[in-house]
Amino acid sequence: MSAVLVAEPPAVDTGARGGGARAVLALAGFEARRLLLSVPVVIAFAAYAAWIVWRTRSSWDGHPALQDADRATQSMPMLVGLAVLVCADLAVLRSARHGTEEHYALLVVAPWRRTVAHALSVVPAALLTAVCVAAQFTWEALKPGAVGHGSPAELLVGPLTVLLFGLFGVLLARLVRSVFAAPLLVVCLLFTSVLGTGPDGADGLSWLSPVVAGGSATTLPSDLLGRPAAWHALYLAGAALCAAFLAVLVAGGRGRAVRAGLALSLALAVTGGVLQARGAAPSPELTAARERASVNPEKEQTCVTRGRSTYCAFPEWVPRADDWAGVVDRVQSLAGGPAHDRRLLVRQRIEARYGLESDAAIPASATAHQVTVGTGWGGNRVPEFSSAVAAVLVTGSERATEGLCDGRMVTVMWLALSWQDDPMDALRRVRLDDSVSGSAVVLSPTEPMSMTEGQTDVVRRLLERPGDGVAEKVKEHWAELTSPGVTTARAAELLGVAGPRKADSCEE
Amino acid sequence: MTPTVSASGLSLRHGGTRALDDVSLRLSAGVTGLLGPNGAGKTTLLRVLATAVPADRGSFTVLGHDPGTSRGRQEVRRRLGYLPQTPGFHPDFTAFEFVDYVAILKELTDRAARHREVRRVLDEVGLGGVRGKRIRKLSGGMRQRVALAAALVGDPGFLVLDEPTVGLDPEQRMRFRELIAQAGEGRTVLLSTHQTEDVAMLCHRVVVLAGGTVRFDGTPAELTARAAGRVWSSTERDPGAKAGWRTGLGTFRNVGDPPAGADLLEPTLEDGYLLTLDGAGTEVAA
Repeated sequence: MSAVLVAEPPAVDTGARGGGARAVLALAGFEARRLLLSVPVVIAFAAYAAWIVWRTRSSWDGHPALQDADRATQSMPMLVGLAVLVCADLAVLRSARHGTEEHYALLVVAPWRRTVAHALSVVPAALLTAVCVAAQFTWEALKPGAVGHGSPAELLVGPLTVLLFGLFGVLLARLVRSVFAAPLLVVCLLFTSVLGTGPDGADGLSWLSPVVAGGSATTLPSDLLGRPAAWHALYLAGAALCAAFLAVLVAGGRGRAVRAGLALSLALAVTGGVLQARGAAPSPELTAARERASVNPEKEQTCVTRGRSTYCAFPEWVPRADDWAGVVDRVQSLAGGPAHDRRLLVRQRIEARYGLESDAAIPASATAHQVTVGTGWGGNRVPEFSSAVAAVLVTGSERATEGLCDGRMVTVMWLALSWQDDPMDALRRVRLDDSVSGSAVVLSPTEPMSMTEGQTDVVRRLLERPGDGVAEKVKEHWAELTSPGVTTARAAELLGVAGPRKADSCEE
Repeated sequence: MTPTVSASGLSLRHGGTRALDDVSLRLSAGVTGLLGPNGAGKTTLLRVLATAVPADRGSFTVLGHDPGTSRGRQEVRRRLGYLPQTPGFHPDFTAFEFVDYVAILKELTDRAARHREVRRVLDEVGLGGVRGKRIRKLSGGMRQRVALAAALVGDPGFLVLDEPTVGLDPEQRMRFRELIAQAGEGRTVLLSTHQTEDVAMLCHRVVVLAGGTVRFDGTPAELTARAAGRVWSSTERDPGAKAGWRTGLGTFRNVGDPPAGADLLEPTLEDGYLLTLDGAGTEVAA
C-alpha cells in the first residue's frame, strides 16, 4: 500500500483529544451522571435516606452498641444495589436497543472500553452509598449512649453490595441482550428475599450472600462476634471486580491487563469466599472466650464503683455504668430498711455460647445482692433493669425472686416504676403484653417475673397517687412489705390503697 | 489536488456476491456524490472506507493513514465523521447529550472544549435553540440534523454521509443540502444518494457505482454530457428508447439512441446517470 501524505484541513478548536484512558474516564463520568439521575436510582437513594433518618432516630432508644450499628447499615443498600443493577444493565444495552451500536463501533473508543466506562460509572453510586453508610453510623456513634466498636469491614458491605450489583448488571447486559433480564432478576431476588428468612451466617454457604446481617437476637462484645467480616468484604470486592473484568472480556477486551485482572479478582473472590466459610464456624479460641464470658464473666470484666454499689461490665460497656447507677440510686432512695443503704453488685451477664443467633435466657444469679444487667439499654430495658434492682432489694437475690407471687411484688413494681417520668407508661412497657391491667409477665434481664391481676390493680392505684406519700409508707412498713408470704391485700392495706377484689393467688 | 482518500483495487464478497469489485477512487476536498441503484455496493463501499468492514483485497488511505493496521484504523476513525443510512438515537437523551456522547467516543475529553464544540456543531446545523430538548420530541428532519451534528463533531477531515436526505420533505431536504454544502467547505465529503438532484446541486464530482464496480467517475457536468444528443421528445413513447415517460406537458421524454430528426432536448444529470447504468458508458471519464 502506498502512503499518501496530505495536509489535513485547518482544524476548528475542538480541544485536545485525550488518550483512551481519558476518554473512558470522561465516558464513565457521563454514564455515572445519567445513572445517578435515573428515576429508579433517585427513588432508591431517596428511600434509603428517609430510612436512615427514620431508623437512626428511633434505633436502640439512643443507646446503640456500635458492633450492632455497623451491621444495621447493610440491608438497605441492597435496594439501591437492585436499582443500580437494573439501570446499569439498561445503560449497557442502550446502544443495542436504539440501533447506535453500528455507528459507535466506528468511533475511536472501542466497545470494550465503553464497557470499562459502564463499570466505572457504578463506582459513584457505591461511593454515595458509602457516604450514606458513614452518615448513618456516625449519627449512631455520636449519640451520647453509644458504646462499643464498629467494624470497617462490616461498614464496607453496603457500598460493596451496590458495587457488586451494579457491575453484575453490566455483566448481565453483556451476556443477555434483553431488557427484561435485569428487571426479571430483581423481581426474583425480591421474591426470594420476601419468602426466605435471609442468610443467618451460621454456615459457610450463607456467607455467599452479599448481606449476612445475622439473627442479632443479642448484643455481644465486639471480640465475641465471630463474624468473618473482613473476608466477606474481600469476597464481595473480588466478586465485584470479577464481574467487571468478565464483562470487559465478553465485550472484546482481551488484553493482558484484563486477563490478569480477571485472574486476580477471581483469586480474591475465591480466597475471601473460602476464608469466610471457614470463619463462619467459631474457632476453638472464640468458643473458649464465649464460654468464659458466659460462665465466668468476672474474669473478663472491668468494675467501677458508683456511690455504694459496684458495677462490673465488659470493657465496651463500662461507660454505661453511670446510667445503671442512676437507676440503682433512684430505686434505692425509695427503699426502706437495710435495703436503702445496701451495697449492690451490678454485673453484666450475657449468653454468648451460641453466638449472635442465641436468645437463650440468662439464669437468675444466686449471689446475694447481685443484679444482672444486659447489653441493651434505653426504652424497655430501663424499667426492666429497674424491676430487677427492686426485686433484689426486696428479696435479697435474683434466685429468691424466682416464682415470686405474693404481695412483695407490689413493693417491687412500685419501687421499679414510681420514680420514672411516666410511671404508667413504664408499667405498660415493662409488661410483656404492654397492658396495664390483668395478669402479665414482667420483663427481666434473667428469669421473668409475673404480676397477678390483683397486684396489677394495687400497683396501678399506687402509681396514680403522689409518690412522696407512698414512699413514706413503704419505708415505714418495709419489714412487713418485704417479708415472704405477705399478701397483696395486706400490702395494699399497709400502703393505704384498696386491695384486690379476689384472693391473692398466682393462679388468678 | 492532494487526495484525502486514495483507494486502490478494493474488492469485497458477501457470500457468493461480489459487493465491491476492484474499486479505485481518489477523493479530495469538496462534496463527492456516490450514485447507484439499490444493491450497487454504495453502502458497502462507505462501510469499507469508514473502517466498519475490511476489504478482501485492495487498500486505501485516509488523510495518509492506513486503516489496515490497528493504529492506522484508530487514526482514520479520529478523522472520520460518519452519518449512517438509518442513524440510531437515544430518545431520552437531549440533542446536546447525544452529540456530547459521540464527542466523547471520538476522544474529545476536555469537558469545556468539548461542550464548546458540541454547541458549535449544533449551531452549525441550526439546532442551537433546541439543544436541551429530548430527541424523542424532535421531528424527523431535526433528528437527521442531530445525526449530522454528531458526524461533524470533532471537525473530521473526511465525512461519510449515507443517504442523508432519505425520508425528508422538500424543505428539509433543501435545508440539509445547505448543511452538506457548508460541511464540504474545507473537508472531503462522500455523499451516497439515490437523489440525482442532490448530486446536481451539491457535488463537484460524482461516482456511479453499479454491480460493485465504478461505472463513472467525473464531474456532474461530464455525467450530464453523456446524455447530450440522446434525449428527445415525442408524442408517443418511442419503442427504441432505453427509457421513456410522459411528462406534464403530455409529450414523451425519451432517453437512448434517438431516431433521425428527433426533437432533441437538453439532457439532465439523471439522463446521464440512466444511460451510464444502461452500460452505455462504463469507462471512467475523469
